[in-house]
Amino acid sequence: MRRLFRLPGRSTDIAREVDSELRFHLDMRAQELMDAGMGPQAARLAALQVFGDLPGIATECRTISTRGARERARRALMTGLLHDLRFALRSLRKSPGFTLVSVLTLALGIGANTAVFSMIRGVLLRPLPYEHGERLVYLRQPAPLGGVANAQFSPLELADYRQRSRAMESLVEYHSMPFILLGQGEPRRVQTGVVSANFFDVLGVRPLRGRTFRPGEDQPTAAPVLVLSYGFWQNRLGGDPAIVGKTFEMNDRIHTVVGVLPPVPQYPAENDVYMPSSSCPFRMGQFTLNTRTARMLHLFGRMAPATTVAQAQTELEAIAGTLRSEYPAAYPSGQGFTISATSLHDELTKDARPTLLLLIGTTAFVLLIACANIANLTLARLTRRSREMALRAALGADRVRLFRQMLTESGLLALAGGVLGLALAAATMRLLTGFAARFTPRAGEIALDGEVLVFTLVVCVLTGLAFAVLPALPARANLVSALKEGGAAVSGGGSSRIRAALVVAQVAVSMVLLVGAGLMLRSLLELQSVNPGFDSQRVLTMTLDLNWSRYTSSDLILGFHDRLNARLTGQPGVVSTASTLTFPLDGHRRFNVSFLIEGQPPAEDGAQPLGDLRSASPDYFPTLGIPLVTGRQFTPSDGPNAPQVAIVNQSLARRYFARETAVGKRISADTGKTWITIVGVVGDVRHYGLESEPTDEVYLPFAQLPIRESTFLVRTTADPGAMARRIGEEVLAIDAGQPVANVQTLEEVRGEALANPRLTTTLILLFALLALCITAAGLGGVIAFSVSQRTQEIGVRMALGAGRGEVLGMVLREGLRLVGLGLVLGALAAILLGRLMTGLLFHVETTDPLTFAGMSLVLVLIAAAACLVPARRAATVDPLIALRSY
Amino acid sequence: MAGSDLYIGTLDVLILKALSWGPMHGYGIGRWIRQTTEDVLSVQEGALYPALHRLQRRGWLDEEWGVTETGREAKYYRLTPAGRRQLRSEVERWRAYARAVSAALDAAPA
Repeated sequence: MRRLFRLPGRSTDIAREVDSELRFHLDMRAQELMDAGMGPQAARLAALQVFGDLPGIATECRTISTRGARERARRALMTGLLHDLRFALRSLRKSPGFTLVSVLTLALGIGANTAVFSMIRGVLLRPLPYEHGERLVYLRQPAPLGGVANAQFSPLELADYRQRSRAMESLVEYHSMPFILLGQGEPRRVQTGVVSANFFDVLGVRPLRGRTFRPGEDQPTAAPVLVLSYGFWQNRLGGDPAIVGKTFEMNDRIHTVVGVLPPVPQYPAENDVYMPSSSCPFRMGQFTLNTRTARMLHLFGRMAPATTVAQAQTELEAIAGTLRSEYPAAYPSGQGFTISATSLHDELTKDARPTLLLLIGTTAFVLLIACANIANLTLARLTRRSREMALRAALGADRVRLFRQMLTESGLLALAGGVLGLALAAATMRLLTGFAARFTPRAGEIALDGEVLVFTLVVCVLTGLAFAVLPALPARANLVSALKEGGAAVSGGGSSRIRAALVVAQVAVSMVLLVGAGLMLRSLLELQSVNPGFDSQRVLTMTLDLNWSRYTSSDLILGFHDRLNARLTGQPGVVSTASTLTFPLDGHRRFNVSFLIEGQPPAEDGAQPLGDLRSASPDYFPTLGIPLVTGRQFTPSDGPNAPQVAIVNQSLARRYFARETAVGKRISADTGKTWITIVGVVGDVRHYGLESEPTDEVYLPFAQLPIRESTFLVRTTADPGAMARRIGEEVLAIDAGQPVANVQTLEEVRGEALANPRLTTTLILLFALLALCITAAGLGGVIAFSVSQRTQEIGVRMALGAGRGEVLGMVLREGLRLVGLGLVLGALAAILLGRLMTGLLFHVETTDPLTFAGMSLVLVLIAAAACLVPARRAATVDPLIALRSY
Repeated sequence: MAGSDLYIGTLDVLILKALSWGPMHGYGIGRWIRQTTEDVLSVQEGALYPALHRLQRRGWLDEEWGVTETGREAKYYRLTPAGRRQLRSEVERWRAYARAVSAALDAAPA
């Protein structure tokens, strides 16, 4: 490299030259004076005197020459580059096939890397778009011994942490609830973020219009106000420019709109509107305000400046310890209550991280394979061009010059590939953002910005270097002499070994990618075939959140559901209907219930059996196809005033009633005040995701646990869309102010649960197939080249009696030897790298033998096919022609 | 031979002219200028060298190292084609200038 860009005429040379020039002048001048009759000493002095300021002149000369040398070097470099560029363009035009294949593979490789990097940059690397985003934390209150990942916080606990924590500069609360919004058109169900007044200040969100909440607006006496999300304002209110100051009716109170949020991603979740905590009737209920265990709030905090998450964590744990000893009843020791702080950044990206890292690993591998392939093609081209190269070498082009030439060509290819790749990445941006949105709320921040462009440029330069240097390796010592010897020298020895090594590496990397894709595919198939415990076919689900202010009693809630059920039952297409609190895979709503079992003494540490609470109307189990194992189902006679009954799932029955039947046993959810009789046991349901194991479940009759935020299920034989419309009409016939939301078929819900792994698997699979294609092309090329170099040898063999089959076998063996070696190396690498995928796989070992065997077979078959083309050409060699051309 | 009393550009044109006969080293150029101008212009001989380097930098001179009649290594300068063109235009400019000045000096008082 140094020789490439070295400036001719270094300063030491220039100084020496100037000195010698001036000394020559003085010597000659003195000699002239001596010839005229002066003495040597006097002549020297006179020469110096007429010369003038010797040191000054010497310096001036050096300065001028140094600058001149620099200018000349720069000019030479520029003209050299221009020349190289023109030459490269011409030589690339002369082999359009090579150019096209190279640019396309590079575009795919660089495009994929750019796209994935832009996701990583937007989601993982970029700081949160909030003021002091690095100081924001999310707080959890886990009770691991009770099997609770995050019990959340009660208003009383929030007050305690606010008062006692120094590490937290401020703490804000958040919870989200659906409410019914009246006024400005038809009634709407709006998802409402209920927050502290300083919530937006802590997150550093400035309003687009109006203002956010003022201090004190979360006090009980404050007038009700609303802040709208940008999306709700735009999509549901038509971006009304005069919206600030308008009013809506919510929970029987008039709320005034005070502001609109900017279009930034909403954390922790998307909401339609926001209200201060004082406006939420549940949050402000006497029970919630005065009960330490009424934990319904998410807490976010901004740490004091220069505080680390670890420091904050330590302080919060100490406070939690004090609270545990002050209020032992609220923190049963058997549940292991604790507190944890996570940086908000990690919290928001934790789901996306493994997938994105897997993707960037995959695309990097694809790019590597593409580079290896182009290096291989370049080598083949170099050999074919060996006479041209030899000629140019003979005409005086030095090694550096030839190398620079190759560098220019590969640089051009890489740049063209990069530009095309960038276009590819830009074209797929929307798809990618949609993909990323499944894992993180930060998807909106993904963009092809300056840093992504720099990344692409760096990738281009590196790839260009990679496939320029690789072919130069074998002849590094004596490229020129090798070139001068013509084709044979380049194709033989080092070069063909390098080409073989490149193919082996390609096969190995392809094997790694194939195994990765295979494992993902197996995992997806496992996930698809897992028995979720319910029948998702032909079931409609919808959210029915009854208006809080109108349905004020259990009777009213039940009355609504009974009327809806009565109107629908018997209609054509309706098989059965059910009312419930949650339904399988609905994603959020998790309610725990801890209970006592009659006749079983409580554990010494106070730990109580814990189950997930569900509610079910009489037809719930048949509607969802959940099998009854023993006992009976709920019936209409299990009404509000009938004896309390429950149904448990098999998992719970096994855990707590191992040797006896659960049916007939009694449990209590209120420490023994009332007892609930277990009347049946039903099958397990994967409620929280197909990959999550079933949890312990307790079902209560919907009539004995009526809740406004309910789900209505209909098993239908009719078209789901038409059925959904009919149900909506029936709902409005009962209550004209009652919206129906989130209408989906359960099959859609199940598909949605599979969508993430399916998309990721599809992407990985695509990349692996791309890698396989490139590798096959590379392998075929190498074998074809080797055949063309050995035409004479093959001719001799055939003349000596070798059959077509033998020649075919010989060529195939040569190819498959490379494949075999690459396969073994790749399998070893896959075993090592596979461990990184453990968290992404479901019911599949990372060393799954079936996957390894299957992918090896695929690879060998494709490789054999790739070798077959040149092998058949070899087998059709006419010995006479081959020998004559010898 | 060069100095403040020298018209600007005079030394340059003399150097170019000296080299129009063929390659010369710096000392030779200086001696030629002294002899042909009969020492009229000579002030400080050293000023020749920065001028030479400047002309070379502008691409009007080329250098090569050669051996003198006395067997010493010396730096020879040679006119480039650009230098030759420059000499022609400089000579014309100089003649026009000299004619104009002489005409003015020879004119009768008004």
